Amino acid sequence: MENQFVEIQNISKLYKGSLVPAVNNISLQIKKQSVFGLLGPNGAGKTTLISMLCGLFKPDSGKIFVDGFNTISESKKTKQIIGVVPQEIALYAKLTAWENLMFLGQMYGIESVELKKRINEHLQILGLEENKNQQIRTFSGGMKRRINLIAGLLHHPKLLILDEPTVGIDVQSKTAIINHLKKINKEQGTTIFYTSHHLDEAQDFCTHIAIIDEGKLITEGETNEVIKKNNCKTIEEVYLNITGQKFRD
Amino acid sequence: MALVFIVTLVQDSTFKSVNETSVPLLFVDNDKDSLSFQLENSLTQAHFFTTSKKNISVDEAKQLVATGKFLMAVIVPENISKKLRNKAKAKISKAFNPNDSIINDDSELQLQLFFDPITKQSFKVTISSAIDKIVSGIEMQSLTKELSQQLKQNFPNAKPIAFDSKPLVTTIQQYASTNETSLVPNSVQHNVPAWTMFAMFFICIPLSANIIRERDDGSAFRLLTMSGSYLNVLMGKILIYLLVNLIQFVLMLCVGIYFLPMLGLPQLQIGNNFFTLLVVALSSGLAACGFGLLVGTIAGSVDQAALFGAVSIVILAALGGVWIPTFVMPEFMRKISSISPLNWGLEAFYGVFVRGLSLGGIFIYLLKLKLFFVACVSGAFYYQVYRRMR
Ligand SMILES: Nc1ncnc2c1ncn2[C@@H]1O[C@H](COP(=O)(O)OP(=O)(O)OP(=O)(O)O)[C@@H](O)[C@H]1O
Ligand SMILES: [Mg+2]
Repeated sequence: MENQFVEIQNISKLYKGSLVPAVNNISLQIKKQSVFGLLGPNGAGKTTLISMLCGLFKPDSGKIFVDGFNTISESKKTKQIIGVVPQEIALYAKLTAWENLMFLGQMYGIESVELKKRINEHLQILGLEENKNQQIRTFSGGMKRRINLIAGLLHHPKLLILDEPTVGIDVQSKTAIINHLKKINKEQGTTIFYTSHHLDEAQDFCTHIAIIDEGKLITEGETNEVIKKNNCKTIEEVYLNITGQKFRD
Repeated sequence: MALVFIVTLVQDSTFKSVNETSVPLLFVDNDKDSLSFQLENSLTQAHFFTTSKKNISVDEAKQLVATGKFLMAVIVPENISKKLRNKAKAKISKAFNPNDSIINDDSELQLQLFFDPITKQSFKVTISSAIDKIVSGIEMQSLTKELSQQLKQNFPNAKPIAFDSKPLVTTIQQYASTNETSLVPNSVQHNVPAWTMFAMFFICIPLSANIIRERDDGSAFRLLTMSGSYLNVLMGKILIYLLVNLIQFVLMLCVGIYFLPMLGLPQLQIGNNFFTLLVVALSSGLAACGFGLLVGTIAGSVDQAALFGAVSIVILAALGGVWIPTFVMPEFMRKISSISPLNWGLEAFYGVFVRGLSLGGIFIYLLKLKLFFVACVSGAFYYQVYRRMR
């Protein structure tokens, strides 16, 4: 049990008005400093699981602990530990990149001098320094994604939760984001929990992988082990074997 | 804003007929002697009538009133002054010489009053008694004049008594300002605060849209995963929209004070208690923002919120007396009216503008507005928690 940074215990969630649970009795352990990839087709329940992990929704049943804190009864403590990068680009379109990041950083309670320093650092690494005074609405999809990412990193969370951070962007942006995440994982010891539809990217990036489908956990483990135990060569092969070829939603 | 001008202009006429110098009165003088002169004088001085004098028959006068050309007519019969003097003389001499047999004219002296059928009973009673009073004043004068003459005859050494015609007892009529039902503010005094309240509550639409959009685009998701209280985020939002509301409020006041007079309307009187006024504006603005927050939290989509918001505000405004002032509403409507937050705000504004009340006087309305705000915000907050944590 030691080393387990996140402990997800038999959680289920049934949305009001739907017949099948979006998340169905899932248990996962996530080691400290690992990069955990949650994979699954559209509508598998990834975002729902993340919402519960962040303490945004209460699971119908089951519990989640982050660094030993219950996400519901000790939500204040868990929220201090986590950083979230939502699937949607949740930025204020009419504000500049700088203003957006300043606002969100202040919402995280970061002291202003330190905040400015951190924003500049991240902007530089992700190649957005020159655009910082432009309005978000003028940004390309890849630029928005990168700003969206920075917003979740500023307060140096111990657990970084990313919902499809590389969706809909070019290889350059994708590579920049993944490399930045790898660096943070190594240098700050940040545990990363992420979802993606890019299976090769996940295979390269993640130390651990879980595949869910229709709310249920199908397989999980260290990336290489998962490939091995399913007698495949790549995660993509595993994925297709498990989830089949039919459309999901 | 445009709405304010139009409605104020339209309503100005209706308010005026109740409120200002404009009861059209037809005066037919067949006497042309002291009584008619004095009566006419008193009527013109009353500032309540616009008197027109015409030399026509009783039937013609009646016709003019019946067709609504005049709200009322006063007809002074021929020789009434002379008859009055004779009567007075007879009465007084009889008092001094009871045995004298002066022929006493017993015929009654009558003024004729015609009223337009649309006028209310209360109006007729008020006017008749006012005219009665004027006439009895004139009567009294001729009696006292006769009396002093008789005294002079009987007691030549006595000094003449100077009776002035001023009545010894007068009544003062005014609007009892603490009694709300009799308070009749003019159209500007009504419309500016009324539409300000209306506009303030319309902040509900952009505010609720903003909340729903944030919920849909994931911003709320991010904000809710931060360790800071989401309530603080909501308060921040409210603060901004409140500021917008206050700016709007100041603009509306400026319209009432500077712009409406340019259109020939009365100037908005805002009283001189600016601090109280600010408190009223803040309380109303808060109530409006709280309402917007609640609508935005409960509604499923921007369209839903806009529709529900608009409809509910219009209903609350109608109930609260934005269109039809509560003082012209029947009693039971006035009772219903007092459940509308717009009515509380409106009453509070009236309190400052028209009645010149201080904070204490409008405390109840301010309290209601603040409670409404607190109820809305906690309702919104707990609904939002409930939805996530059920
Ligand atoms: N607010 C909601 N109310 C009702 N049903 C919902 C809600 N959000 C998601 N669902 C349903 O729950 C299921 C899981 O959705 P979820 O968003 O968690 O999937 P996902 O794995 O994140 O999909 P994607 O890869 O498309 O992002 C889907 O069937 C979806 O339709
Ligand atoms: Mg998703």
